[in-house]
Amino acid sequence: MSERRQETGRGRREVLRLAGLGAVGGAAGLVAPGRKAEAATPAPTPTSGGYRVTEHVETYYRLARF
Amino acid sequence: MKEEPRTVGTTDRRSAEEAETEVLRAALYRLLARFLAAPPDAATLAVAGGLGDEGGGELGSALGLLARVARTTTAEQAAQEHHDLFIGVGRGELVPYASFYRTGFLNEKPLALLRGDLAALGLARAPGNPEPEDHIAALCEVMAGLAEGSLATVDLAGQQRFFDRHLAPWAGRFFGDLERARAARLYQPLGTVGRLFVDIEAAGFALAA
Repeated sequence: MSERRQETGRGRREVLRLAGLGAVGGAAGLVAPGRKAEAATPAPTPTSGGYRVTEHVETYYRLARF
Repeated sequence: MKEEPRTVGTTDRRSAEEAETEVLRAALYRLLARFLAAPPDAATLAVAGGLGDEGGGELGSALGLLARVARTTTAEQAAQEHHDLFIGVGRGELVPYASFYRTGFLNEKPLALLRGDLAALGLARAPGNPEPEDHIAALCEVMAGLAEGSLATVDLAGQQRFFDRHLAPWAGRFFGDLERARAARLYQPLGTVGRLFVDIEAAGFALAA
């Protein structure tokens, strides 16, 4: 690894840090919706307006599994 | 490959900082994905409500605002808002697909390009799943998985390539629309977070290139 590369890597981390990315630290435990759906018993609870809970969750869940 | 090593377990401080940065990036992408794929449940709202704005910065402030709104939003209200924004009767206020944003139509060439790139990463939609992969939440979830190395192992250049090809062309516009959407209350600060983060990611990748 070149020195320049280390420098630029540091610059990138600095950009992210200064922006306040650290504030999201508390969300590091959030799991992908799909994985959560996998852990829980599938109990889709359609709420108001006939909203379908599962579709996008399915997308990810599948993406995450591959 | 001359990319930075992804070794875990080293005591080297620089590597530890790198690892932490990637964990935080993954967490932010996942937070966005979690809210956009489906409305947040009470537990997710509680996690969002606990986010601080420590460290300052524009993004930190936006996360702090999201936390404040999340604390006064019920899961039912979040579900209604998500429905009005993305599902609607016929269609929601916003259409959160790359293809729609980039071509004006669903299922166009951006989706085909995405499928090719996902396949190259070893990712695919399950047979029988009708949902297109170019939904913003799916793209954020892929970025989270690439950042933390859980979906596929790619170096930073590979992450940048995916970002440049599939998020950079439209995600900032989408999040800006989300910020301004009529139905957005909880999702208004989420839109700000997303818009800022897309810019920060682009700047970060440019510095690392």
